[in-house]
Amino acid sequence: MTEKLLTGNQAVAQAVKNSRVGVVSAYPITPSTPVVEEIAGMVESGEMNARLILVESEHSAMSACIGASLGGARAFTATSSHGLAYMHEMLHYAVNARTPVVMAVANRAIGPGWNIWADLSDSMSQRDTGWIQIYCESNQEIYDSIAMAYRVAEHEDVLLPAMVCYDGFVLSHTSMPVKLDDLSEFLDEYEAAWRVDFDNPSTHGNITPPDYFMDLRREVSRSHERALKIMDRVEREFFETFSRKTPLIAEHYRLDDADTAIVAAGAVSSEAKIAVDNLRRNGIKVGLFRIRCFRPFPVRHTIRALDGVEKIYVFDRSVSIGSEGQMFQEVKSAFYGLSSPPEIYGCVVGLGGRDVTSMVFEKTVMGEIEPGWIGEVIV
Amino acid sequence: MRGLDEESIEELRWEIRLHGRGGQGVVTASKILAESAFAERYHAQSIPFFGAERRGSPVMAFTRISEHEIRERSQIYTPDCVLILDPLVMRVLDVFNGLKDGGGVVISTSSRISDEILPDISLTLVVVDGVGIALKKDLLVAGNPVVNIPVIGAFLRVFPHIGIETVEKVISEKFKRNSKRSVKALYSAYESAEVLKIRGKKRAEKVYSKKPGKIWIPASKPVVGVAGKTGYWRDFRPVINYSRCTNCLNCWIHCPEGSIRRENGEVVIDYDYCKGCLVCLSVCPRRAISSEREVFA
Repeated sequence: MTEKLLTGNQAVAQAVKNSRVGVVSAYPITPSTPVVEEIAGMVESGEMNARLILVESEHSAMSACIGASLGGARAFTATSSHGLAYMHEMLHYAVNARTPVVMAVANRAIGPGWNIWADLSDSMSQRDTGWIQIYCESNQEIYDSIAMAYRVAEHEDVLLPAMVCYDGFVLSHTSMPVKLDDLSEFLDEYEAAWRVDFDNPSTHGNITPPDYFMDLRREVSRSHERALKIMDRVEREFFETFSRKTPLIAEHYRLDDADTAIVAAGAVSSEAKIAVDNLRRNGIKVGLFRIRCFRPFPVRHTIRALDGVEKIYVFDRSVSIGSEGQMFQEVKSAFYGLSSPPEIYGCVVGLGGRDVTSMVFEKTVMGEIEPGWIGEVIV
Repeated sequence: MRGLDEESIEELRWEIRLHGRGGQGVVTASKILAESAFAERYHAQSIPFFGAERRGSPVMAFTRISEHEIRERSQIYTPDCVLILDPLVMRVLDVFNGLKDGGGVVISTSSRISDEILPDISLTLVVVDGVGIALKKDLLVAGNPVVNIPVIGAFLRVFPHIGIETVEKVISEKFKRNSKRSVKALYSAYESAEVLKIRGKKRAEKVYSKKPGKIWIPASKPVVGVAGKTGYWRDFRPVINYSRCTNCLNCWIHCPEGSIRRENGEVVIDYDYCKGCLVCLSVCPRRAISSEREVFA
């Protein structure tokens, strides 16, 4: 096992190579472009044995991945922002078609007000498509998550596509140490549960009338419920294989005796840990519940982890305009109907790459900043 | 310089901020520093910050070096050291913002640095003629001198935690066959850099803040923004020969920056904001626009 200083995008490319992906199709877009560049270089040099299909749009990239997956290949793509939005129709298709494609999303804001910087609004606005969504806080976690995502997506009880999301630039272009474990110990060669068979032809995606469609969707929904169980298992097996703890559903950080909790996802949650440590030093009993998996949303894990907490501050690096932060909605909804639920506050931070420092979390917990939209960069 | 050459601090950890312009190798310099520190068994992190993603525009990068795992994901606001690859950025940015008392400043320039422009704290100032070294060692990319390697060389003079041989190794692996000139420039800068203990005289400036309006529509005209007047990004200046110009407006319609105005029946280039892309020159059907090398006084 080697350890290298890699950007988030390079970590993705290495993980894709080491996951022995068979087909990559993409239409590059900032800030995920270097993922495709790195893979193209490795395919060209023979270092990676895969078919790279360059297409004319993200819509086609996802279409090619769906086709490749139906054909029995382990498929991969990467995109961001406008590219992900342009894929929207095919995201739905990949779900109902039950193709376990894995996609890297370097999160970026959507214009106009042209902006290439970190903002989770692009993937958050795809939360209803049925994709599994995993959010990362470090480049090591990005590397690990790609292989873990394939394990969950390809499981015969799941068979759903998964996106691995990481903050654009803040992770995608930032170099950090990454341990490049041999993923073949953890992820087998791909063996499709179902594939197009030319000797035994069938129609795929045929008309599904009202008598069947709702049942088909019900099955997709049940697969999401089952995915949480599989994730639990994959998380454990990952630890057993590499002796390294990479949470897949959620991370509990100093929550045991906490009366106040921060909920966050993505790169900002690493800053939140610094805040938790600083506040703890001053005797404040605060912990962090870091959400890794946003879809399926881990309702039971959330309630269990935050049991006994009096106050929760949810930090979203995205917002559902006309409403509030998406994670804030989910956390509130998780506690609905329980007796004596905690007070839950929502904060929107870091949109369009606005820098988020640990001080924002500290000051909010100390009551020095009102929850809501927090635009100041506090140093 | 606190932390840079002293071992006796509670936690060994340094934050370095780099300033320059697109094309000068700011991001690469930050990465080389991080990789070298990583090779010296430190935890290291390199964060680029691209502004307009364009040659000539201001670029920042941040390097963190620590004995412990680095959990920060934010930019660096209170650096131990700032590396300035191009003094021109000082026109539009307070590059010394948040610099710690006793911190370091490494600057690439051939002229004398007045203490009037340095902040009112005690500093270790390192001056290196990066452009001169790049020209002498033939370190050019697309015709422009690359000053990032000389600045690293100068920085190493006051940062003993990374060996110059380690940086040489990182550069050799990174640039492969083209690394020889870079390595020569690295050593030349290390040897010729001038190190001074100094106290600046410049008072901190008030930071400008903007008030949001009621409805924001994403439409704009060239005005002073966060990047200041962007004309200094230019390497070449388009010049209109009015005796050939027929006022066909082809340049006006093609200018991607909206920096060509119509004034008294003529097209006029706004040099405060023209970034020198020379699209106007290539679309002029009468070849009435030529280019001149930009020389900043």
